[in-house]
Amino acid sequence: MKDLAVRLAALDPDAGAALRVIAYFDRLAESRAGLQTIVRGAAILSGCAARLADRDRRIQIRVQPDGTSGPGAAGRAELEAATGEPDPLWMSAPAGDATLWLERPGPPGPVDAMVLERAGAAARSVLDRTRGHAAHPDPALVELVVDAAAPEPVRLQAAARLGFNPSDSVRAIALEGGAVRLLHGAGPDITGRAGVGPAGPPADLPDSWAAARIALRFTAESTDQDPGPRIVHADELGGLALLATTHTEPIPDERALDRAAATAPWMLTTLDAVAETASLRAAATVLRLHHSTLQDRLAHTLPVLGWDVREPRGRLRLQLALALRRLHR
Amino acid sequence: MTIETTQPVGPPPPFDPELAAALEVIGEQLPSALTAEMIPAMREGNAIADLSDEDLARDGAFTVTRRNVPGPAGDPDVELLILTPAGASTPLPAIYHTHGGGMIIGNNRTGLGVLQDWAVEVPSVIVSVEYRLAPEHPHPAPVEDCYAGLVWTAANAAELGIDPERIVIAGASAGGGLAAGTALIARDRGGPALFGQMLLCPMIDDRNDTASAVQMAGRGVWDRTANYTGWTALLGDARGGPDVSPYAAPARETNLAGLPPAFIDVGSAETFRDEDVAYASAIWRAGGRAELHVWPGGFHGFDLMAPQAAVSQDASAARVHWLKRLLGA
Repeated sequence: MKDLAVRLAALDPDAGAALRVIAYFDRLAESRAGLQTIVRGAAILSGCAARLADRDRRIQIRVQPDGTSGPGAAGRAELEAATGEPDPLWMSAPAGDATLWLERPGPPGPVDAMVLERAGAAARSVLDRTRGHAAHPDPALVELVVDAAAPEPVRLQAAARLGFNPSDSVRAIALEGGAVRLLHGAGPDITGRAGVGPAGPPADLPDSWAAARIALRFTAESTDQDPGPRIVHADELGGLALLATTHTEPIPDERALDRAAATAPWMLTTLDAVAETASLRAAATVLRLHHSTLQDRLAHTLPVLGWDVREPRGRLRLQLALALRRLHR
Repeated sequence: MTIETTQPVGPPPPFDPELAAALEVIGEQLPSALTAEMIPAMREGNAIADLSDEDLARDGAFTVTRRNVPGPAGDPDVELLILTPAGASTPLPAIYHTHGGGMIIGNNRTGLGVLQDWAVEVPSVIVSVEYRLAPEHPHPAPVEDCYAGLVWTAANAAELGIDPERIVIAGASAGGGLAAGTALIARDRGGPALFGQMLLCPMIDDRNDTASAVQMAGRGVWDRTANYTGWTALLGDARGGPDVSPYAAPARETNLAGLPPAFIDVGSAETFRDEDVAYASAIWRAGGRAELHVWPGGFHGFDLMAPQAAVSQDASAARVHWLKRLLGA
């Protein structure tokens, strides 16, 4: 058994050893190795403990020259060394916002210098690649990845830089004002209205984005004057989505809704509750009304609207009118 | 057990990323394909890496002794290198070691560092046999030397501080093949009852035509050409023919009943993968006990050449865990 560090030390440091170090980290990068593997490579090739720390991301990785993590068998002094602050005398290199250390005083020899440079660069590219999962992905990349006009290889490259694998399931989200967000896994905190596109591989994000923008048009402010859902999933629109693809003038039923809205402040929320819930009793519960109060209100709407929203057909007509009214805002 | 080469064989399985990176460092110092002309240079190179007696003593943790013991009838004595843990008061289990080196290189100090690590975890006496090497000494000299040393060790267990009921034979690569062959001889001749056999990436099939042998030609460590070189050194023209003894090539044995519990490990990206998997299957088919580990992306001897890699650490741990279970330590 010969340690890789010993093998490297036996080589001409300026040429042979440096090339091996470069090749080592290039291979790791090709296989998209993670931070732990990169830091372990730094420890293995330099023959001393290596650590990577990024305070903002709460990343703290330390690997010993035998490839194991943690303090090792050397006891308490070693444990303190492992958990303590980095010694300012140690050799270090920046890795983006993070820092990579070799736990040995400098100045670095040629092999150490190359290990620091290549491991630092490899760690930085991992950190960049996983930035899509952090709070602030690069907006230019996000716009590129949903751009139907961009060639697919370009979009996939952007997706990779955002941290997405080709097999990941990602959604585009359309926000008010035309902003786009990407959703992979748990949902982000969205305040305000949002249309959520269907999930699919990153290559399909332009389609998800187009559907998300349609879904956004079916959202509402969730106020008395604009009741309805603030977040709409394109997956749940069904045939309603077709309404968004036609450019029609407002139909009489929409004007009827506007007229009705002018007659009472509760009108639109009441009609929305009737349209969105499974029964009048459920609508009354949502509105926090007595069932008979709701019946009275609906009796009032009949002459203003011109149709009975309590009938099945009238309910569909109401749903369509509410949807069209949102589209035509 | 031969896999017909007429069946389609895909590309080689990829190396584990970390092992692939390590190969970049090791590569030029260790060509995949070895030929007979390279044997003298290989022996010289190997001798440089030998552990000294001082290394083996590990600051007094082990007592190092040598014994010349009778070889096979009519043949020279065999040297046993014996490492006894300091301070043992009761008879300990023994690990009887048959070293690796393709049947053509190495000596009884080759690879002992790994066994000493086991002996620290599971207190045991290490007995490592200096068998004669091919091609100067073809089959049956190597395996008969190994068996002769085992017989002497079992007969003189009390003097060595060994519990004769708990002798585990262990070897890697060609040493794994010799360990398996020695276990077959011990069974067939009613020799020492072995407590276990540790066959680490063992070289057991002279036919050299499994899917993995074909797949890995020219790749990694100890490829099909190197394997041809080793087997031809041991068997001469008989290699691959109908008359090869199972003691030389244990994959040839059709009855694997009545053997001690086996631990077999191998990498998925090495020549020996399929013959080793088949050997474990044959033991199970015969009603025997075997534990098989196929480490993904491992090349031949990956754990020795890149001991710090994550997969190497797991492979090493699995061996110690098996020994602990077997020996109840």
